[in-house]
Amino acid sequence: MSIQKILLKFEPKPENLLGVLKEIQKENGYIGKKECEGAAGYFSLPLARVYSTASFFDQMKTKKESKKIIKICSGGPCLGEKSMEVARQIEMLLKIELENDARAKYKLELMSCAGLCDRGPIVMIDNQIFEKVKPETVDDILANYL
Amino acid sequence: MNILTRSWDKINPLDIGSYIRQRGYEALQKAIREMVPADVIKEIKISGLRGRGGAGFSTGEKWEMAAGQNSRSDLERARGATSNGKYFICNLDESEPGTYKDRTIAEKNPHQIIEGLLIGAYAIGAKKAYIYINGNYKKQAEILRIAVGQAREKEFLGRGILGSAIDIEVEIFEGAGAYICGEETALINSIEGKRGEPRLKPPFPPVSGLFGRPTIVNNAETLANIPYILRQGAKKYSQIGSSVSPGTKLFILSGAVKNKGAHEAPLGITPQELIFNSLYGGGLETGKEFWFAQIGGASGRLVPAGKLDQPLTYGNCEYPLGSGSVLVVDKNADLKDLLLSWAGFFHRESCGKCVPCREGTYRLWEIAKRLKNNDLPLTNCNNASERDININKNHKEGQLVRGEREKDRENIEDILWTLSRTTFCPLGKFASVAWNDAIKMFGKKIFDK
Ligand SMILES: Cc1cc2nc3c(=O)[nH]c(=O)nc-3n(C[C@H](O)[C@H](O)[C@H](O)COP(=O)(O)O)c2cc1C
Ligand code: SF4
Ligand code: FES
Repeated sequence: MSIQKILLKFEPKPENLLGVLKEIQKENGYIGKKECEGAAGYFSLPLARVYSTASFFDQMKTKKESKKIIKICSGGPCLGEKSMEVARQIEMLLKIELENDARAKYKLELMSCAGLCDRGPIVMIDNQIFEKVKPETVDDILANYL
Repeated sequence: MNILTRSWDKINPLDIGSYIRQRGYEALQKAIREMVPADVIKEIKISGLRGRGGAGFSTGEKWEMAAGQNSRSDLERARGATSNGKYFICNLDESEPGTYKDRTIAEKNPHQIIEGLLIGAYAIGAKKAYIYINGNYKKQAEILRIAVGQAREKEFLGRGILGSAIDIEVEIFEGAGAYICGEETALINSIEGKRGEPRLKPPFPPVSGLFGRPTIVNNAETLANIPYILRQGAKKYSQIGSSVSPGTKLFILSGAVKNKGAHEAPLGITPQELIFNSLYGGGLETGKEFWFAQIGGASGRLVPAGKLDQPLTYGNCEYPLGSGSVLVVDKNADLKDLLLSWAGFFHRESCGKCVPCREGTYRLWEIAKRLKNNDLPLTNCNNASERDININKNHKEGQLVRGEREKDRENIEDILWTLSRTTFCPLGKFASVAWNDAIKMFGKKIFDK
């Protein structure tokens, strides 16, 4: 869907800005300069205002992400379910290091609690959530979703 | 004593009929047909209900503040208020680690929250209400959307509620992943399409909130208590639980405890009972030994075994109960993992508006990583000298270099002091709480490798 089409689905009221940006993120993968300019024009807001919102939230990116991002929950309850062992396993399988940018293709990051602690450990790949991930099952997930 | 979880097993969240059969929306009808807004507020004040979002402010008093606000003031005009309306917001942003009570209510009985929200909006005279839901809770947002649609068909919301002249619109607003947006003024900013940074208070939201207008923000669990209070009477409610904060609470148990999950219990209960009573936690998992508990998520204090008998209330407690989640940590847990988990969380979630929190959480996180990896601090941050590298090498080879670790230890003290006293909003203080306790309780274990 083009940006224009997304914009026209919403009334240009300030309380719709976040929803618009989220939708652009979903369709476009990131919210770049062009997209910010489009939204700024539509909402009659300064470009800087739109950019400041777009750059604030976890679920939106202002740059194109070339790496696959794998996130693992580091909240207390997930730790208790051994999420760090799952992280070690991912590091081994993909030959990457947690929170280290060096590898070109993948990046393994820690994430904040997703509120799914009763179904932990939680792993997230590109906003898709995997529950009750075990060191023994994580290679299946990586094989299917990377 | 069940108030919140009462009849959950009989309710189909996707069918408003099943809620109505359990006396659902009776309280809303009573409020609109038999009570003026001031009566509703009086009733809530008598009940003694206190906010379940963490701070425990009296709900009735808060509503009264907003109800008393009327015409547009100069301040509001200056802040860009364009309407004369008021707003009521249900805070379902819930992102405190280990907390999923509001999510559970939304999943099991969404109408309980919506009914409370409508009664609140009626009481303060708001025509527009929002449910601000955590961006990760997609399924729950859908459930709420369906529930709002069904309530509209039954004329419980929308224009001319139950044949009266009262209009209340309800909108589901989905967040985009930011813990700080649970803070009410940050939440308000993010609805306005701005960065989710907290605002200076005062003015408080009941005076000047969303679009500069009087706004009430209440936690979802707070609102879920409202229908019961109006139906059964405030007197009855005020006798449940503890006298400083009546009612029950949804506690979330996780970690090394046997029965993990959501448990409803009267306020005033002790952590001891919650963790060990078979009605609730049922003790520790087999083979595990209690070390300490953390009450209230990552921002909560650590409670050692000897202190488990302090009642959990919203009064003045040594161990504030916050969001009401209880993480049970057993003796095999890796404390350095936990330290890194707390520091990492607040480093990621700091909004960056004020320096002490932005920098403090960052430095604490760096130190936590060093502790975890058994690295030593570099004497010169920009330019690691050969000596530093050698020290690290020697250390890794098993020779402990005395004194070097001390630098981190001193820095931690400085950082924690600053975080707990100088930050713009409470998030900075939250970031220091568990670390402070951990250093006091287990300092030796942390630093003497
Ligand atoms: C950093 C921070 C995070 C917060 N997160 C939440 C939250 O996720 N949910 C919530 O209801 N209140 C949260 N609060 C408290 C709110 O600011 C506000 O006090 C609360 O929603 C008021 O509702 P209550 O009176 O019903 O408790 C947070 C506060 C701070 C400082
Ligand atoms: S204390 Fe942290 S979260 Fe609060 S305003 Fe300052 S930087 Fe933002
Ligand atoms: S701690 Fe991992 S989802 Fe809550």
